[in-house]
Amino acid sequence: MNVLAPVRAPEEVPVLCRAGADEFYCGLTPRFWAERYGGAWVHRRSPRSAGLADEAALARVVAAAGGRPVFVTLNAPSYPGDAIAPLVAFGRRLLERIGAAGLIVAETELLLALAEAGLADRIHVSSLATCTNRGAAAFFRDLGVARIVLPRHLTLDEIAHVLVPGVAFEVFALNDGCVFEEGLCATTHTLGPFCLEDGPGTEGIGDDVLEGYAFWKWTLNNCGCRTNRGYTLGPCGLCAVPRLRELGVASLKVVGR
Amino acid sequence: MEYGVRLETPGVPPEDPRTVCAPAWQDRLAPGRLVAVYFGAEFCEHALPTADEAEAHCRSAHRHGLEPVLLTPVVTDRGLAAVERLLAELVGRSWTPSVVFNDWGVLGLLRTRFPELSRRAGRLLNRGLRDPRGPAGPPSPAGRAHRLRRLLADLDVAAVETDPDAAGGGYLGDGAGGLSRALHLPFSFVASGRNCLIKAAEHPGTGLTHLLGTPCPRPCRSGPRRVARADTAAPLWRAGNTVFALAAPDRGPWPRADRIVLHSRPAP
Repeated sequence: MNVLAPVRAPEEVPVLCRAGADEFYCGLTPRFWAERYGGAWVHRRSPRSAGLADEAALARVVAAAGGRPVFVTLNAPSYPGDAIAPLVAFGRRLLERIGAAGLIVAETELLLALAEAGLADRIHVSSLATCTNRGAAAFFRDLGVARIVLPRHLTLDEIAHVLVPGVAFEVFALNDGCVFEEGLCATTHTLGPFCLEDGPGTEGIGDDVLEGYAFWKWTLNNCGCRTNRGYTLGPCGLCAVPRLRELGVASLKVVGR
Repeated sequence: MEYGVRLETPGVPPEDPRTVCAPAWQDRLAPGRLVAVYFGAEFCEHALPTADEAEAHCRSAHRHGLEPVLLTPVVTDRGLAAVERLLAELVGRSWTPSVVFNDWGVLGLLRTRFPELSRRAGRLLNRGLRDPRGPAGPPSPAGRAHRLRRLLADLDVAAVETDPDAAGGGYLGDGAGGLSRALHLPFSFVASGRNCLIKAAEHPGTGLTHLLGTPCPRPCRSGPRRVARADTAAPLWRAGNTVFALAAPDRGPWPRADRIVLHSRPAP
């Protein structure tokens, strides 16, 4: 079972390797993106806080990883129609020229386009695709993808049911949490997290319930904790690792890029 | 234009489907014939109807010469089994509603176990932004989801459905390829998930995570709750596990559709 670590800069890679990271993931915004689509995000997260600077930085990450796979996110929930072809070309370049091992993809349209381009076996289906049952897992497997990232809000028993043979699975193991189901949240963090202000103002919901809701959201939001180097230090799935190993989960994701 | 209406309980459908909406919306909608009744649950597997409830909807629709359309949500394996039991019961009682799926697992179930039921791709397959706080994404008025629609057509899906999103309507396409197009109005979903504040209110002192997968007494049946937020003036509701926004009638142009599905209020 691999530990999948986030990377924001090439300098982090040796440290993460020493700490036991087996594989890495990062964001990278294509050059054409800002010119064509302005401030819209090409990933689920802000390119300013969660992405490598450029392709050269990705190449340095790949080199520093020393053969450990490096995956790149293209996981916005939805893209403009005319973005698909250039994103496929961008993805192919990352895989074939820069040495990325795979692409983490959420949108079905982009996923289908990458599969059409012969790249299905380099795709990890993002948690935003909301694969919550065996049938959905079989659907993605039959498209030929390499891995499925399961959504956050599944119990261990539910995870056990979802796993189907013929495709690898990844689960969240440390940090971060969405209040809603990330793939079913049609808001964007470019306007601030919608969920942080959610709850108060709801008719008929009393203060005691709101207090519990606020506390629960605080726990999802890392209980306000960070390491002394500024990294998030949040909800942890350590106690679930033996069960996940037994189930055959391939990769444990550490959030925080 | 043809219309569907979303009904929470079986009953006499309105003669003019537009009357389920507020007057400001009625004036914006072209006259048309009611052809379908939608029922079920789009957002929560706990909100699926019982076989008896679903049969009552089917019977009522049949009595009025309308197509019954069962809405289904994103599901866990337990929810998938519940959908399977529900459909098996209905088919066993000789009812064959169309089924809206929002989950690839449900589509697989329909293809393998219930091929006789007409399949419609639900609005949750459209992951376009619907953030009520403001314009946030690049508009994409034409040409989205070509491959998705082609795949759906190849899988013998009859229709593709959505509610208004920020991208401006290209998701439904131009109707080529054999897929009918349906637009749900006047509410767009904003955010949904398994952590339900309305359910949590029934279990004081229990963290939301501990409520995952536990039975739900369905407090959402009492209706949606208004939500007021400082960061948007858009009218919002919470219906069970989902937040909805009311689209402004003058916000169009709306996506071109063959069918409009009208909701009198948000429901999970």
